[in-house]
Amino acid sequence: MLVLAALSIYPLLYLVKVSLTGAHGFTLAHYARLFQDRLFTVAAAQTLLYALAALTLEFFLGLALALLVDSLAHGRALVRVSLLAPMLLPPVVAAVIWRLIYNPEFGVLNGMLRQFGFHTANLTWASGRTSAMLSVILVDVWQWTPFMFLLLTAGLQAIPSEPLEAARVDGAGYCRTLRDVILPLLKPTILLALLLRSMDLLRIFDQIFILTQGGPGSATETVSLYIYRTAFRFSNFGYAAAMSFVGLVITTLAARSLMRLMSRES
Amino acid sequence: MRFVLSVAFILLAACSRSGANKTLTIAVNAGVEGSALKTAAHEWGELRNTRIEVIELPYANLFEKESLDLQSRTGAYDVIMLDDPWFPKLVADSGLTPLPRSPDADFLASTLAVCRDAGNFYALPYVGNSQLFFYRKDLFEKYKLSPPDRWQKVLEAARTIGAGEKMYGYVMRAAPGNSAVADFMPLLWAFGGDIFDAQGKPSLGSPEALDALRFMLELGKVSPPGYAGFNADEVSAHLLQGTAAMSINWPAWIAAMDDPLKSKISGKIEFAQMPSARLPGVAELGSWLLAVPAASPHRDAAFDFIYWATDAPQLTEAALRGNPPTRRSVFLSPDLQKKFRAFPAQLAALEGARPRPRTKQWNEIENAFGVALSQANSGAITPEAAMQQANEEINAIVERSK
Repeated sequence: MLVLAALSIYPLLYLVKVSLTGAHGFTLAHYARLFQDRLFTVAAAQTLLYALAALTLEFFLGLALALLVDSLAHGRALVRVSLLAPMLLPPVVAAVIWRLIYNPEFGVLNGMLRQFGFHTANLTWASGRTSAMLSVILVDVWQWTPFMFLLLTAGLQAIPSEPLEAARVDGAGYCRTLRDVILPLLKPTILLALLLRSMDLLRIFDQIFILTQGGPGSATETVSLYIYRTAFRFSNFGYAAAMSFVGLVITTLAARSLMRLMSRES
Repeated sequence: MRFVLSVAFILLAACSRSGANKTLTIAVNAGVEGSALKTAAHEWGELRNTRIEVIELPYANLFEKESLDLQSRTGAYDVIMLDDPWFPKLVADSGLTPLPRSPDADFLASTLAVCRDAGNFYALPYVGNSQLFFYRKDLFEKYKLSPPDRWQKVLEAARTIGAGEKMYGYVMRAAPGNSAVADFMPLLWAFGGDIFDAQGKPSLGSPEALDALRFMLELGKVSPPGYAGFNADEVSAHLLQGTAAMSINWPAWIAAMDDPLKSKISGKIEFAQMPSARLPGVAELGSWLLAVPAASPHRDAAFDFIYWATDAPQLTEAALRGNPPTRRSVFLSPDLQKKFRAFPAQLAALEGARPRPRTKQWNEIENAFGVALSQANSGAITPEAAMQQANEEINAIVERSK
């Protein structure tokens, strides 16, 4: 209880206190500003878009890879280790690598496309207004799909063989077995994976900070980036605390609904 | 018993060591400016028998660490290296110690002006940075173009070179924040605009400011695609690889331009003053300063170090390590002028350079302005909308700070 109070309750109460403190004492001005702040609205919408898009792609890719590797007769361990490599890199290192890859003129991606005869003059990736968000999402998918894969593989291996054999004896094909046996049995693991990744995605910071710094314009601005800038570049800790508290409430609500689903499943 | 004695001996040794030999902690920018200071600090440490701890931080983190330390008076740093736009904020937080004596007259006036607040000096200028205009002299000669002393000539030359060569005529950086603002300020000033008017009210809604942004977008048409996400490294990479012919740049990149190991255009770049438009061209000042935090536990030693490091012999050494000096006598040294061909242009640019607005809200203003500029350059909003948005947001920042 003491540890919980020191590590969670006190910082949370302090966060709320800072968010309600202005230059002249108690104030609700920081929360009022949230509703008028165009950049915060943009950042919140883009954070949700980023989280939803990356979560969907990572889940389906991770599931497909887990099913594929699970069905391999040989070399499962080797494939599994190779697939985990991106996840082992620190996110900052991964972002620096992708910043070099995405460089429109000197990057390896456009260089390879040019080798295959593609016209790359307007492929600006992380520097383009419309392509920047997609580019940062792809980096997240590249780095964190292995995490989904890892959890779902563990879930697949924990499925008992009896229901699968029973389905086979009953003449169920692969698709039917997947839909009616594997996925329902995998549901608790799926929910856990979605919970962990969504919490991580909603607080995305490092990759975007290195890749685009929220630009061009505000095309990849996220809530975490905006909070960081407000607190540490503009020294406005009250407003940053208000944004953090609202962000915490949203993340907690999202996590609670997923956890409720999980407990219903178990 | 032996264990207890050993521990006591170690503690005694540690105590006696710290008493006899204090440690000066210096926060520096991780880059060429900081590495020259780091070397100087270790030399000073040997001279004064003082231990030196240099904390190198990337530009983006240096301000945060320094600002937090100064606000909370932790005394973590004895000397800090700071970019001149940070000075008003750090002084306003009462975080810096006034200098014990005024700097001498050999320092360039433009670099000294940003070290003073309400008549007191709080810092010494260490790196004399101001923008220069980099252009490919060989291509200007090839196409018989006159030197780029006016922005209109820059645009026309960029179109000519872009049409005749497999390269971009111009390259600039318009990533949100410092990048977009730094490349826009010389245009804004040359077109007769400014961020604030004489009464201190935001004036980006002026026709001059709008014309400057429209001209920036014209330059964007002869720049590489994606420049709205570029920072300094992308701009310099284009110049070094010979894929762009002109840009605004900083003296830190001069050495790389002339280094055949790093550059494909060694000896082909010329360094000039900012082009003019309706008004004479003015470069943005970006000097690095040295200051002593109010909470420094070793203030006397810290002041001794910053006066030593900014004296003429040390600034000469710093120049040889790649830092532009802040003293006229060092710029005019015949030996250094022989070694650094850009020195006359650098001195002229630095003498006329203009600082960014001296306000403690500069970081927030620069961010709001930079986002609007970057959005306009990426095509997300019109120039009119960008300037209106920037003006409104800067106005809100100013009002909030009252």
